[in-house]
Amino acid sequence: MNQRKKTIIYFTAAVIFLAAVAIGGLFCKEAAQATDFSQKNLLPGLSHPFGTDWLGRDMFVRTIRGLSLSILIGLAAATVSAFAALILGIASATLGKGVDAVITWIIDLVMGIPHILLLLLISVALGKGLTGVVVGVALTHWTSLARVIRGEVMQLRESQYIKIAEKLGHGKLHIAVKHMLPHLVPQFLVGLILLFPHAILHESSITFLGFGLSSEQPAIGIILSESMKYLVTGKWWLALFPGLMLVLTVILFDVAGESLRKLIDPGSAHK
Amino acid sequence: MKNKLFRTLTAFCMAGVLFAACGNSIVSRAAEDTENSAADQKDSVVVTMPTTSEPESGFDPAYGWGAGEHVHEPLIQSTLTVTTADLKIANDLATEYSVSEDGLTWTVKIRDDVKFTDGEPLTAEDVAFTYNDVKEKSTVNDFTMLKEAKVIDETTVEFDMETPFSIWPYTMAIVGIVPEHAYDENYGQNPVGSGRYILKQWDKGQQVIFEANPDYYGEAPKIKKVTVLFMEEEAALAAAQAGQVDVAHTAASYSDMSVDGYRLESVASVDNRGFNLPTTAPEEKDGIVYGNEVLQDVAVRRAINIGLDREEMIENVLNGYGTPAYSVCDKMPWYNNEAETAYDLEGAKKLLDDAGWVEGSDGVRERDGVKAAFKLMFNPEDSVRQALAEDVKNQLKELGIQVTTEGAGWDVAYDNAQSQPLMWGWGAHTPMELYNIYHTIKDTGTAQYSPYANETVDKYMDEALRADDLDKSYELWQKAQWDGTTGVTQEGDIPWIWLCNVDHLYFIRDGLSIGEQKIHPHGHGWSIVNNVDQWSWE
Repeated sequence: MNQRKKTIIYFTAAVIFLAAVAIGGLFCKEAAQATDFSQKNLLPGLSHPFGTDWLGRDMFVRTIRGLSLSILIGLAAATVSAFAALILGIASATLGKGVDAVITWIIDLVMGIPHILLLLLISVALGKGLTGVVVGVALTHWTSLARVIRGEVMQLRESQYIKIAEKLGHGKLHIAVKHMLPHLVPQFLVGLILLFPHAILHESSITFLGFGLSSEQPAIGIILSESMKYLVTGKWWLALFPGLMLVLTVILFDVAGESLRKLIDPGSAHK
Repeated sequence: MKNKLFRTLTAFCMAGVLFAACGNSIVSRAAEDTENSAADQKDSVVVTMPTTSEPESGFDPAYGWGAGEHVHEPLIQSTLTVTTADLKIANDLATEYSVSEDGLTWTVKIRDDVKFTDGEPLTAEDVAFTYNDVKEKSTVNDFTMLKEAKVIDETTVEFDMETPFSIWPYTMAIVGIVPEHAYDENYGQNPVGSGRYILKQWDKGQQVIFEANPDYYGEAPKIKKVTVLFMEEEAALAAAQAGQVDVAHTAASYSDMSVDGYRLESVASVDNRGFNLPTTAPEEKDGIVYGNEVLQDVAVRRAINIGLDREEMIENVLNGYGTPAYSVCDKMPWYNNEAETAYDLEGAKKLLDDAGWVEGSDGVRERDGVKAAFKLMFNPEDSVRQALAEDVKNQLKELGIQVTTEGAGWDVAYDNAQSQPLMWGWGAHTPMELYNIYHTIKDTGTAQYSPYANETVDKYMDEALRADDLDKSYELWQKAQWDGTTGVTQEGDIPWIWLCNVDHLYFIRDGLSIGEQKIHPHGHGWSIVNNVDQWSWE
């Protein structure tokens, strides 16, 4: 088996797992909130693989539902963020010095404020909840990808085929869409996927801190912050499994992104 | 990108370690204090309280110390009257008090031998000053019934009232008297009083240390030094496990823990939990909806009241540490025990059947296209309220009523509760709470927290406030709950459902006796130290 095949397998496995979690979560909305007081505080076992909490809720279902919520929020936020990055990146590189200066300044500004702080501000200003989190994550995560794309476009502008297109009299927009965009797709896709883990971690951390989703939602941040209260009583499973699953999800997104990069990057595509 | 991911992960880990470190440092500091005190003599105690118990604006009655949202004895200051173990009234500073026939003038005579801890005598001037001050400033407790406090002579004060207020002695039991000569805007930070204890030290966000007042006019406090540490329940448990505190407040979810050298003590309370049922048809006013389509039907409200198994709920949610509640004032002298109901699932179903609520294919009852469904909100920071809401949801499902639970912060909860039930906590040492919950307010013609109006109930409460002695007023308060034909109980309008009184739980170090505790009101904080002067070590 060569490198490329291995990479394809990694990529597929990661994507299948994440898709399964995301879709699985959609179907257990009710189950994740159902309480059964006869099944309180159970250790992980056959009927409850991740145990149950003090309301008798099944932690496995809650974890899946929580991760699913996180993935979907991450998906929404990362997509918005990546498209913002794409548009601003291209605009910055093609629309002249003035626009470039403004956009670069905005990028520096957003990057200059710690993510989590800006995220909290935006989320609170929008009344927390789903919109607050999605908008918050979207508005804070586009900067680094925008920089990458700006740099790439600047380089592209000097390349032969673009210069020829210019000489042939094509408009700026036409060149950007027809000739530059296809070239940017690989970076964009990889960037998009690598945004996911950040989006997910940040979503769960502001929810954990109480500035994100509201507490009847089984978001992973809620699950973790609730479990903190019970760690002292020895109920380790409340935090361990959801925490591990969160880390696993984040790592798998990273694996998927990296594998995708290897697959479509000309430098490593044929290994 | 990858680097950044790892950086983020590392940052989270570091944050975690940091939090843990912060937690430890508070506890270990407390530990030093205890070890110092425990070594020399056994007349000091260290007590934990929730962080919300720390008085934000200091120990000033005008800003809620004692006379706040959660009432308690102010320790540093003395009060005119006190509430007794059975929640009746006894004298403290007052030697006698009387009220005029029209109920508009209260005359109180006070002791002449009381001195503030700075050596100045406590006179009628101080009393009048205190009451005029709280009337002007207090936003957390209601003093609108008071017109003015006047000095008659050195030891006599007269309270002129706006409206008759027969339960004034209960208000007198929570307002600590401050010295006029030593009162300024910083009083809350450096309070001077005439009470059992002196504020020795206050490290904001951490602890308060009290020392016994050596010149106290009453019985000398047995406990000479009281340290109060503010921390969350899990930290309190950890502190008890480490043997660093003498009394640690705790919750039912920790009650299965056993801590060596400590016993779990449960104190009865009127700290009740219940939810409101808006009794009117939905109607929007100024962007807020008042009333609820389903709950306006009294049959639904009655069915809910008898269709809930309170014992099971207490077992499930409170691990058995609670008592069923049937009113906002169970066990109080003004409680009408007609409010008590028995769990009757079949009866509840019959009520709904008779009212025309028919079970649909999804198991949810329906009438004229309206589903028997409502939202039940709870405060997201309170796991007990969340659990109660979830249990209500499970139990009402059997009745064919669909409940969805939702976390709602206090910023939106009050408005939303006008149309949707909210899980509340109440319970106070004054019948005024009945008035606050069930009496209509003038501007809207409906009760304050949840749409409800009943003229007869209003009338009894107005009469109770006009009554010329307390015993008569108790009777009228009881009639306001149920007079044989109407009221707020099962056979009446049942605009609120009361579920349980939450016992207040404490891990108490072996050998420490916390005396006879009054029934605790709402608020798991200062009530425990109401009688700290009478605690004793074996």
